[in-house]
Amino acid sequence: MKKMLIALAAVAAIGAAETTLAQSQMNPRDETEVLVSRLQADKRAVVLQAMNLSDAEVAKFAPIYDGYQADMRSLMNRGADLVNRFAANYDTMTDDAAKSLMKDFFKVRDDRNALIKRYAKKMEKALPASKVLRWVQIENKSLALLDFQAARIIPLS
Amino acid sequence: MRLAPLALALTLAVLPVMSHAQNSGLASDEQILIKQVNADKKAVIAANLGLTEEESAKFWPIYDEYERATKPYQDRLAANINNFAEKYDSLSDADAAAMLKEKMAIEDGRNALRQKYTAKIAKVLPAKKALRYAQVETRIQLMLAREIYGLIPLAR
Repeated sequence: MKKMLIALAAVAAIGAAETTLAQSQMNPRDETEVLVSRLQADKRAVVLQAMNLSDAEVAKFAPIYDGYQADMRSLMNRGADLVNRFAANYDTMTDDAAKSLMKDFFKVRDDRNALIKRYAKKMEKALPASKVLRWVQIENKSLALLDFQAARIIPLS
Repeated sequence: MRLAPLALALTLAVLPVMSHAQNSGLASDEQILIKQVNADKKAVIAANLGLTEEESAKFWPIYDEYERATKPYQDRLAANINNFAEKYDSLSDADAAAMLKEKMAIEDGRNALRQKYTAKIAKVLPAKKALRYAQVETRIQLMLAREIYGLIPLAR
């Protein structure tokens, strides 16, 4: 089960990283932290490139985006904890455990949507709305890819 | 675990749309995609939930109600995408702000519906099966989202 926990904590969807992590001696919490850091660093570079901003716009966008990433980090950790809880309960899932997982899953989703909305409003004060729309599109695309990868590695209950 | 049938059915549902996507508008591509996935979705869910007859009798009416409640959001999403496609070359800040607002309102509405109906389903099915349903529904939505985002260009 430990291997399963480690692999699942790699919700991460950083594909190749899973193999490396499965062989490491780190505990799942530390591994999740490492994965989230790596993922966020890669994502920042991709987002900045895809946004196609002027220097002046980058100066306004980057601090807001970094604030968003910091807030998103705790949500990603909550998501990873959720996956680990699912894995820990998988073989002996009770009704209470299943209900609690569903409730927390929806809560993380709600909080994530609220976070994107909050930061889109902040960005609208600093950037043209078309750029903010572009950011939301990029963010949604990358989250959909990550979520899809995560959903693929999590077995059905 | 019946991952293969789910992936296969959805791949089959999505593939014909990809060729169609080359010669039609964004919103109609998105509508066709949703229509095709919805047509196969019940079969995919049925294959993955393994419901007893008694469970089926309780589950499907709620599921059908959920699908009906989702339809207006699908229509609004298609309209928003169509609006985006029409104004793409000359998108103003006011247009972008309005589209962003509408997009987020649609997402909020759909998430609220998903929660509401999953909670209803959890009252009539064992929670483990309700959780399984939530997982299958989420996977289908993610596959759809992935395909739809692939059809829509980024704002300039």
